[in-house]
Amino acid sequence: MKKNIKNLVVFVCICTVITLLLATTNFITAPMIEKNQNALANKALLEVMPNGKGFENVDITKLTLPSTVTEAYRETDGQGYVIKLLTSGYGSDMVIMCGVDSKGVVTGAVCLSSNETLGKEKTYGENFTDKDAAGVDGVDTITGATKTTEAYKNAVKDALNAAIILGGGSVDIRSEEEILFDNLNTALPEGEKKFQKLFLTEELDNIDAVYAAENQMGYVIVQGEQFIGVKADGTVAEGVENGTIFTDAVAKIKASSLQDINLAGYPDLEATIISAKKTASGNYVIEAKGAGYGIKGGDEYHPASNEYIIVRVAITPDYKIIDCITVSQAETKGLGDECANESFYGQFVGKTEQNYTEIDAISGATLTTDGYKQAIERAFAAVKVLKGGA
Amino acid sequence: MKEKSSLSVLLNGIIKENPVLVLILGTCPTLATTTTVDGAFGMGIAALVVLVCSNVFISLLRKVIPETMRIPCYIVIIAGFVTMVKMMIQAFLPSLYEALGVYLDLITVNCIILGRAEMFANKNAVVASALDGVGMGLGFTLSLTVMSTIREVFGAASFAGIAIPFMQDYKIEFLTKAPGGLLVYGLLIALIYVVTQGKAPLKKSFSCEGCPNAEFCNSQNCDMKGA
Repeated sequence: MKKNIKNLVVFVCICTVITLLLATTNFITAPMIEKNQNALANKALLEVMPNGKGFENVDITKLTLPSTVTEAYRETDGQGYVIKLLTSGYGSDMVIMCGVDSKGVVTGAVCLSSNETLGKEKTYGENFTDKDAAGVDGVDTITGATKTTEAYKNAVKDALNAAIILGGGSVDIRSEEEILFDNLNTALPEGEKKFQKLFLTEELDNIDAVYAAENQMGYVIVQGEQFIGVKADGTVAEGVENGTIFTDAVAKIKASSLQDINLAGYPDLEATIISAKKTASGNYVIEAKGAGYGIKGGDEYHPASNEYIIVRVAITPDYKIIDCITVSQAETKGLGDECANESFYGQFVGKTEQNYTEIDAISGATLTTDGYKQAIERAFAAVKVLKGGA
Repeated sequence: MKEKSSLSVLLNGIIKENPVLVLILGTCPTLATTTTVDGAFGMGIAALVVLVCSNVFISLLRKVIPETMRIPCYIVIIAGFVTMVKMMIQAFLPSLYEALGVYLDLITVNCIILGRAEMFANKNAVVASALDGVGMGLGFTLSLTVMSTIREVFGAASFAGIAIPFMQDYKIEFLTKAPGGLLVYGLLIALIYVVTQGKAPLKKSFSCEGCPNAEFCNSQNCDMKGA
């Protein structure tokens, strides 16, 4: 027992001496270690704000910043902010660090990590140095790496907006979709923020788009920058000029009815179109298929899906496209699948048989664009056959 | 135990009882840190400092440390010195700290240090223990530096991070990988065997004598008996 106590005392004494030595070493080295760690953390920040003296983390939890912003640092001399962002490029996440000075000019942008296939993001940030908001808009995306560079550009724009908000200013950080739905809701509050864009089968003069409230409380008609609400009972809000244009449009939409055309009598069309309908006013709604990358393409990196692009087109008897939408597609993610976006298929609206090919192709997806045009061409051909004028 | 001269104690660790190439101790950090000369040299010096400090400390306390409690005591002392060295490197040589990573902490369980504490420091005077620490530390550093030079020069065509222009097209990248490390390690062991004409790996000089269980087993059932 006595021996055990002696052993224990010796052990405790050794531990105490070692602890004292450790405490002394820590006392000497701790300030230097902290300095080194800060220098390491600041190294990345200095890369995008080379004149920065020091940086302090800003608590962003209580601020409404663009959703891509993950961290923010304030330059201690008031030179500006460094914003860290997380965005999605071509199928992978990109971490971007962007410095913005107090005048709203980008001091530098770097991509800290990504898995992008082309590696364009590694040097793309250099294009933004010394650019303000307008200058950033003017930076071109890189052909063949559109998704990556577009996401990068949007992240830099988000950083500029975040810097304004962090500096106490205000800026509209809503996405285009959020702005659209806010406008729709303002025009028709009864719609309770749930609207669906209508596929138009009738020609409506000077009207760009029509949205229907999902709760059937009415419609919102878009004419340029204007959003006009037409209630279910056919009335428009007070003060709207030429209200009858809008009420007439809604009446025309409501009155429109579609009749299926039996394709059994048209064996030539069976291979190229899925279905055909005709409105009472004589317009045609054709669902046609086009051979895009899914049928004609395919390599070891982007295998072909073996699926056609299905397009729905409303065409007048005099061959003018009233509306167009992509019904289904299985083109390459991040490239050809751009054809499912309204920014692409919306280009065909208003085009005729003569000029429907004059649209902007999808960058890096020629086969998809050609396949889409083929579907439109087949729809026009189908209308000719159905009219009996082929 | 036959008293050895200070010089022979110091030189013992460099070739005759080289911890890495003869005693085959500290294999883990040897293979892990010898991909670059910088990292290997830094590791060697860090281990040397810990080895000298712990040898001196253990030798000073050799008559106080209870026989039955010696291993926990050694571990506390070694871990304490490793932490101190780690703090120093982190404060004064941050790039080396980054390069060594987890292997710096693992010096605590490096068998060279515990081995020398058990084989030498707890039986010898302070000066001799310090010299043993220096000798073993130099032996460890030298082995690591030679091995890392071979691996970095032939595997990565650079020396201490400086590219060797005329070798860029003749890299043997295999040497920078773990199997390449084992190959170089084996070749160096063979070389030292040849250089010392097979006299260096005298297991009996450290087998039963250095074994922690020697006094209990009396070599009766020891596998190392007569080795």
